[in-house]
Formats: sequence, C-alpha cells, structure tokens
Amino acid sequence: MTATTPAGTSSGTTTPTSTDPSGTRTGRGAPGSVGPSHTGSAATRVLGLLALAAVGLLVLYGLVISPADREMADSVRIMYVHVPSATYLYVGCFITSLASGLWLWKRTPGWDALGETGAEVALVFSFVTLLTGSLWGRPTWGTYWVWDARLTSTAVLTALLIGYLALRRLDLDPDARSTRAAVLGLLLVPNVLVVNRSVEWWRSIHQDSTLVKLDPTIEGDMLVALMVGFLALGLVFTWLMVHRFRVAWLEQQADRVDLDAALRERRAEAKGQVAPPAAPDRFDTSDPSGPDVDEKVTPA
Amino acid sequence: MIAMTHAGYVAAAWLAPAALIGGYALVLLRRGRSLSRQVPTEERRWS
Repeated sequence: MTATTPAGTSSGTTTPTSTDPSGTRTGRGAPGSVGPSHTGSAATRVLGLLALAAVGLLVLYGLVISPADREMADSVRIMYVHVPSATYLYVGCFITSLASGLWLWKRTPGWDALGETGAEVALVFSFVTLLTGSLWGRPTWGTYWVWDARLTSTAVLTALLIGYLALRRLDLDPDARSTRAAVLGLLLVPNVLVVNRSVEWWRSIHQDSTLVKLDPTIEGDMLVALMVGFLALGLVFTWLMVHRFRVAWLEQQADRVDLDAALRERRAEAKGQVAPPAAPDRFDTSDPSGPDVDEKVTPA
Repeated sequence: MIAMTHAGYVAAAWLAPAALIGGYALVLLRRGRSLSRQVPTEERRWS
C-alpha cells in the first residue's frame, strides 16, 4: 500500500501494522486512534465564522449603506455579488490548471485532488456568476441573456468545467482518468483569458472592467461594498476549497482501502482459503472489530 | 434601501447564490462525514 500525504508526496512504502507486547494493534485504523470523523478542523471553524461575519458585513454594505447608482439604480447591488463571483471563478480555474500541470509533472495524488477541488468550486461560482449576471441584465439590458462575447465565453467556460468533472467520473483506470482530466484542466486558463479579454477583443454590450484601472469607475461606499464582496466571497471560496480538498483526499483513501480489501480477497481465493472480511465500511474509533488496512498481505 | 428599484431582481440575485453556495457547503459536509467513516483515522490528518 502506498501512503500518501495531502501535499501530494508519495512514500511508495508499505507500513505494516504493529502489535505491542500487550497484543493491542497500534497501526493505521487501529481502534482507539484519534481522528475527526468529518472534514472540519479548528482552522476551518475559525475560517467559517470569519466568512459568516464578512457575509453579514456584505449584506449591510451591499443592501443598506451603498447608495443606488445613477444609471443602474439599485441593480448595482447585484454587482457586489456578481463581480467577486466571476473573479473567484477565474481563481478556481487557475488553481485547477496549475494543479493539472503539476499532476502531469509530479504524478502525486495531492495535485490530482487539488485539480478536482478547484474545478468543482469554480463551477459553483460560475453558476453564481451566470445567475447574477442574468438577473442584472434583465433590468439593465432588458433581457436575461444575449449571445454576447463575454456571456458566451463564460458559458463555454462553464461547459468546460462540467466536461472536466464528467471526465473525472468515467469508469477508467484512475491514472488514465486523472491524466485525461489534467490535459483538459490545462485548457481552463486560456479560456479564462478569453473570457477576461472578450470585452476588448470583440464588440460587446458587457461593460469594461470596473476596477482594473488607475481611475476606477466606482468610488465611495459602492467601492467599499464591492471590496467587502471580494473579502466575503474570498473567505467562502477558501472555506469551500479546504473542505472539498479534504473530501477529494478521503475519496482517494476510500478507493485505496477498497482496492486493498479486493486484493486480499483475490489472494485468499488463490490460496483456497476463506476470504477475509471485505472492505471495511466504518473506521470509527468506537468499532473495535474494524479490519486493519495496513496489514501487509503475503503473496500467494 | 427602503424604496428600492428592481427589488425582485436584487433579492433573487442575493438569495439564489446564498442558497446555491449554502446547499453546496452542506453537501460537502455530509460527503466528508460519510467518507470519514470509510477510511482509517490516521488518514484524516486535520484535527
């Protein structure tokens, strides 16, 4: 069995379970060992509380303190959610492309998990971006959707993210599946650049960038509300990324446990023995009869 | 905010993302809890 770390390193060694003089199993999965039965930690709880506080501040600034815009009127309040969502959609895509490149280079499972994490969270933010954009477009442009360069390229990026995640769920050899997904993941950043530059490269009804200028077209309480939006959604994005990464990590470990149990069964069958128990369905510390996944199997 | 124009659009644009992200967060927590029971405790390296 290969022990791996969340950072993506792989030891490539088997760690047999030891038994102390009193006969107590002390290896991985041994009863009595301590570990959280969820993806939360003290750090994520603090992060979650900060995110909730920032969202509360965003509601205060975005819906109460910020004045209405001269042209957009109160629909400007939608921008405080829409613009940060689009930005974190880009960030998620960048993370996935970076992790995909590193997976193809290093071949370590942590990068693979990070690539999947970035894509899934980016997809959530792409839905938020498209949804809030449509709801802003109806009172401003008079339509929910138009096949404009920015909107169309964002829809293409969303389709690419869906394709990436669908590819990861194909019933293939895990290594081949990760490699194919990583190649697709590398295409996300060029697409993000197309989305971002689309308002300059093609005629578009979508407005230019509001902030990426020395003289931004937004100021005062509206600028503060937008900055609070970046802060709040940034904290939410980070919280989701951490939890999703841990879920991806757990999925990899669960697959490995299943594979180890299947191998044990096959080897026992080959030796004409009764197969040992199949994959454990629980590793709770309260279950003293849980099989030990680190037990090294002697080849038949 | 008292006499807000486009109030329906603004409300939908704030509530829908809150529901989407909140729902996704709940799904993540449930998946994490379920998967945590299937792997050895030492593989859950956050604590």
